[in-house]
Amino acid sequence: MTLLDFARGPAIHWSLIIFAAGTIWRLLGVLILTRGADLSRPRDAFGNFKGYRTVFSRAWPSGEFTTATRYQTVMAYTFHIATLIVVIGIVPHIEFIKSLTGATWPGLPNAAGVAVGIIALVSLLALILRRVTKPAVYCSTWGDYFAWLVVAAPLVTGLMTFAHIGPRYETMLGLHILSAALLFAWFPFSKLMHAFWFVFSRAQSGLAYAHRGVRI
Amino acid sequence: MSSTAVQAPIFPSFAQVFQGLVGQIGQLRQMAPTPTLPEATRVRRAIATLIAETNADEAVWLESCIRCGQCTSACHYFQATGDTKYAPLRKMNLYRRVYQREIGPFRWWYRLVTRPIGLKDLEALQELVYDSCSECGRCTMVCPMGIDIASLVHHQRSALVAAELVPPELAALQMEQKQRGTVFGASAEALHRMVDTIRERAGVAIPLDKARAEVMVLSSAVDLVGNGNGLLATARVMNHLGVDWTICSDGFESANFGLLSGDMALWKRQVDPIVAAAKRIGAKTLVIAECGHAYPALRWNPTLKGEDLPFEMMYMSEYLGRQAKAGRLRLRPLQGRVTYHDPCKTGRRGGAFDEPRAVLRAMQADFVELPANKEFNWCCGGGAGIFLLERTTRLRDESFKIKMRQVDMTGAEAVVVSCASCRLNFEAGRHKNQWNKRVESLVELVAAHLLDDAPQGAQSPIEEAAA
Repeated sequence: MTLLDFARGPAIHWSLIIFAAGTIWRLLGVLILTRGADLSRPRDAFGNFKGYRTVFSRAWPSGEFTTATRYQTVMAYTFHIATLIVVIGIVPHIEFIKSLTGATWPGLPNAAGVAVGIIALVSLLALILRRVTKPAVYCSTWGDYFAWLVVAAPLVTGLMTFAHIGPRYETMLGLHILSAALLFAWFPFSKLMHAFWFVFSRAQSGLAYAHRGVRI
Repeated sequence: MSSTAVQAPIFPSFAQVFQGLVGQIGQLRQMAPTPTLPEATRVRRAIATLIAETNADEAVWLESCIRCGQCTSACHYFQATGDTKYAPLRKMNLYRRVYQREIGPFRWWYRLVTRPIGLKDLEALQELVYDSCSECGRCTMVCPMGIDIASLVHHQRSALVAAELVPPELAALQMEQKQRGTVFGASAEALHRMVDTIRERAGVAIPLDKARAEVMVLSSAVDLVGNGNGLLATARVMNHLGVDWTICSDGFESANFGLLSGDMALWKRQVDPIVAAAKRIGAKTLVIAECGHAYPALRWNPTLKGEDLPFEMMYMSEYLGRQAKAGRLRLRPLQGRVTYHDPCKTGRRGGAFDEPRAVLRAMQADFVELPANKEFNWCCGGGAGIFLLERTTRLRDESFKIKMRQVDMTGAEAVVVSCASCRLNFEAGRHKNQWNKRVESLVELVAAHLLDDAPQGAQSPIEEAAA
């Protein structure tokens, strides 16, 4: 079995199984806990439902915090959007998704794919640069740096594979798929889980504050 | 315009009250209880408390932090010092460790790779959850995950109560309220004496312990042992409104050192007699004195089932605002430009935004909002009991400078507050910085601007005012 066969076969399959099982385990482990009841009379009878707005409104920081958050917000959005475009937009990924699910759609031209991949990588570098240079603000743990590496690796190896840089193509592709497998497998155990938590976390706070008539 | 409209001062000015109180606070440190339980028991109790208080909400919040650092831009203690240990996200770390080891879905793993919590960890936690977090909730406003760090900090305060690690000043007051039911010695006798003094010297009647009344008003220790003007002003306003009101000597204290220290049993024990008294006298409205944390202690008490209570609870500023909106407060115009400071507990964490502003409008005030106001208001730096802690002096002084800059930017001559704790902290800051702003209490300002030709005697019931 070559490296590519291993990556395309057991590695990616098991990582997806770990991803699904781990994510479900972690979500359920938290969400089955009881919820504390707030029996106090809400400010408005139906005001609490307004709290769900926070799930959407918190997608962008309030004007009050623009100066402090601008750099990070712009970079984070650039990274997330560019990464999403690369993941679902370039032809080799579409081929892979088709092999798993049968679904397919037209892909981006190669040059566009490379450009978006580079944008994603640069924004990710911009984020880590800030984290490293402002330790007092970020209070980083090893988990923060490891998560960054795990996210950066598929981007770097993907771009190298695409551009035929480094070892021969098959090896590079194998490494790229392995790095993606690592990302999937690490996901449920790390802060990458914020992809799910943000909905619950924002909704809870939105509801708690809306109960008191405060829009956060 | 003066803070009290009495011709000859009956009570000391608030600046003098502040000086007197500083002396009393100094004595608290000597009165603080020392830990009695064995070390292992204290640690076990702290962990058990956190486990018991962790529901899905807390778990989700603890899981959600991505250490993006945004909260640091919102925290006055971090902004004032730039010290990384005051970063709000750090204030969840110990709680998260307990959660991951004891409750979280991967607890078997975290028990292998993380150290158990020791007394040293809990001792270090004191500075984070008492000294450097006023539970003002401003960090929640910027957190992209919306994590309510303040409530997680409060659970950790409860854990430190169980571990006998409450800071000395708070511990002394917590003990006093627990054992004697008083704060700074503000007993029912002190209330009677103050009511007598106000009647004899100011000629203002306070209907004490009426068998039935529409409106029950609370007082607070600050008013009873120092700032008599607070209670005097309250009485003037209530008499001006002509409502059927009373103060109950078996349930008058707004201050709740159960909530402030994190002692949930004491919180309840302080609330129960107030609720019982209000029910007994058939009150329709319970007015909470200008004592910020009393608002969440009563109005937003999650264990008091709102539907079952025969009365409505409101903060002094809310009550005044509703009366002003209904046109029942007849007020002289307020001279000079003023701004309003939203106390964290009644503002961002209480929602009483419009009413105090309605009062200022009723006085035709030249009112200017602070640059960051309402839910974005900066804490004065002394909330959640921090004003009382001597060792937080530097943190308070530094963070108050943010507040001063905000007020200075408005060009106002006076800042109106509606919380005794904020007011004390403003007074401390004003004194230390020789700041040329006046600090006014909303209720005292209203009392000083009443048009006293208003009809006295019974008027329409208060529910109409609320409607």
